[in-house]
Amino acid sequence: MKKLMFVFLAVLLVAGAAFAGGQQDDGKTVIGALIRNTDEQFVADYADVLKGLAEEKGVELNLQDSRGDMALQLDQLNTLLSQGVKYFVVVSNTTEATGDIAKKIQAQGGGAAFSNIQPSVEALKVGPNFYLASSPESVAGEIQADILDKYFKAHPEKLANGDPDALDAIFLYGQLGHPAQTYRTNAVKQGLIDAGYKLNVVAEDTANWKPDEAQAKMDTWLAAFSGEFDVVIANNDGMALGAVESLLTAGYVDDPNDPSKDVDGDGIVLKVPVVGVDATQVAVKSMEEKKLYATVLQDAVGQATTAFELAYMMATEGSATGKKAWGLSPLSAPIDESPANDAAVAGQCYLVPFKAVTPDNYKDFMN
Amino acid sequence: MKQLAKPSIGGFISKYTGYVTFVVMVIVLGILTRGGSLRLLSWQNLAIAESVRAFGALGVGMIIITRGIDLSLGQVIGLSACVSASLAQTPDYVSALYPGLDLPAIVPVIAGIGVGVLFGLFNGFLVAYGKLPPFIATLGSMTIAAGLQLIYTHASTVGSLQNEYKKIAQGFLGPVPNMVIYVAIAVLFLWVLLNHTKQGKRIYAIGGNPTAARVSGIAVKFETMKVYLMAGTLYGFAGVLLSSRLGLANALTGDMMELDAIAAATVGGVSHSGGVGKIGGIIIGVLTLGLINFGMTYLGVDSYYQLLVKGAIIISAVYLDMRRAA
Repeated sequence: MKKLMFVFLAVLLVAGAAFAGGQQDDGKTVIGALIRNTDEQFVADYADVLKGLAEEKGVELNLQDSRGDMALQLDQLNTLLSQGVKYFVVVSNTTEATGDIAKKIQAQGGGAAFSNIQPSVEALKVGPNFYLASSPESVAGEIQADILDKYFKAHPEKLANGDPDALDAIFLYGQLGHPAQTYRTNAVKQGLIDAGYKLNVVAEDTANWKPDEAQAKMDTWLAAFSGEFDVVIANNDGMALGAVESLLTAGYVDDPNDPSKDVDGDGIVLKVPVVGVDATQVAVKSMEEKKLYATVLQDAVGQATTAFELAYMMATEGSATGKKAWGLSPLSAPIDESPANDAAVAGQCYLVPFKAVTPDNYKDFMN
Repeated sequence: MKQLAKPSIGGFISKYTGYVTFVVMVIVLGILTRGGSLRLLSWQNLAIAESVRAFGALGVGMIIITRGIDLSLGQVIGLSACVSASLAQTPDYVSALYPGLDLPAIVPVIAGIGVGVLFGLFNGFLVAYGKLPPFIATLGSMTIAAGLQLIYTHASTVGSLQNEYKKIAQGFLGPVPNMVIYVAIAVLFLWVLLNHTKQGKRIYAIGGNPTAARVSGIAVKFETMKVYLMAGTLYGFAGVLLSSRLGLANALTGDMMELDAIAAATVGGVSHSGGVGKIGGIIIGVLTLGLINFGMTYLGVDSYYQLLVKGAIIISAVYLDMRRAA
């Protein structure tokens, strides 16, 4: 039984000793990073950029991954605050929690920059040291809609499948209830409707962000809805590529005799366009092979750098109000999207642009 | 090695391994954080963080004592959190699930507990009367609860809860967080139940040897059902506390909490062979894992490595538990 005790102690001591090193440097600037879930590619990239920047600037970064658990994120915040950490970079689990997060940080006289998941207007109103450094998720959906609008304007004959008057779409969702899933989905649907399409959802289901699940779903749908859909829209590139694999395997291409040939000149070898979000390197490679049609880059480097610079300015100069971060200026006037739609806090909003990655420009995104 | 009546240090440590481990960990962490982890604020944070898990671990701990298991815990807590939250939203919140609804805080509390009670009955029925293996029965109800959460919330966050409701979990009585008081009440109740009532003896008897328990006249099915019901009630209340504490709930609330709770009960000395386990042990198990989480966050241990450490601890605890039982 004493072994149990020994194991606990050994583990704690090893962990403690290995990492307590950074604790000894008093006087070093400390920034806390609360990150919702590094299982997701964008968030993982974001966290990596933060680590790199911290090293570059000699900042001690305490980065915590809450693995999608809002309660855990709150615990992590409490722990860091109790240690005296004042300035934070936050990728929250949900917009609704940002108000409470900001209030807790404000109570300690600190500040925070929120990325990826938008903070609420209420959170930014907590004080001038709370910033938005993000490209709201819904914009990714809007850009998907925009890319598809241009595609179908250029190739109206591609709308002929299923209901010829409607845009017949198949949707692959991320984990249901995940903010990126909800915002991206709603925005792409609304964007297509706003662009004047009659949207007909042929099939929709979650594939939990995963290529293999998406491929299996697409296999089933191909058996059921072959020839009845115009487009496949996925919440991320992983699932989009799963769908692409399924379509290729089933020979759902322009020329089944030569699946690498784009017969109809729409830029892809598949019969229908497939779009994703993230612009991962695999996805861009697939675009080069004319398989995936398009994706959207949510700029992890831009968001992480903007947020980090804001937190760094607060920690070293006391405030970042009105200053430039990653070369971006704060908004001078409100825009349509929350929280930057409130004039009172527009000056605390730094909008990092999303980028459409299409057959015309994908080469710029290859590493 | 049989301990004689004569007290000895070895015997004490052996009997109270869990407690001794915890105390030593507190001291070691105190040294590593140069006293930071010993401050009142740190203890308050730890207690608040672990309260909801404590309810889960107490519930599943009792079930494990009867040789069962409950995988539905996290999702039931999540569903309870969503249902209670939906009845506690501020009436002027435009995105509320029921806009304009303004109920006294007791209503969402009861509704949340009700969710737990229903799932407790459902699980208990499947296991005790349907004779389904608990792992499979609760795997099914876990999936059902997850589905209901998504359907009920339309997969969006149920936020903007009324202050009166948030105070239930966020309030303090002097320096003591309300959450700790609720846990203390549950602990006291269950401790009396397990140690000083006939029902407690029956629960241990069923876990120790179900056949012998039946032969000796215990209504095994009914008693098993009651254990799942009690656990469900605890989960229901845990869900209420979770939504009150977070001020929101969504379909991911409570996700995977079953694993933490089962791990805590196991680390706390509840044997998966059945019939063995104490309420104090379960709480120490919860606090031990909580302290590890807290300590690693405090020391800035990389989140990825935190998972390795947690996994290693769970495996060692079960390994030692098996050797003890053998």
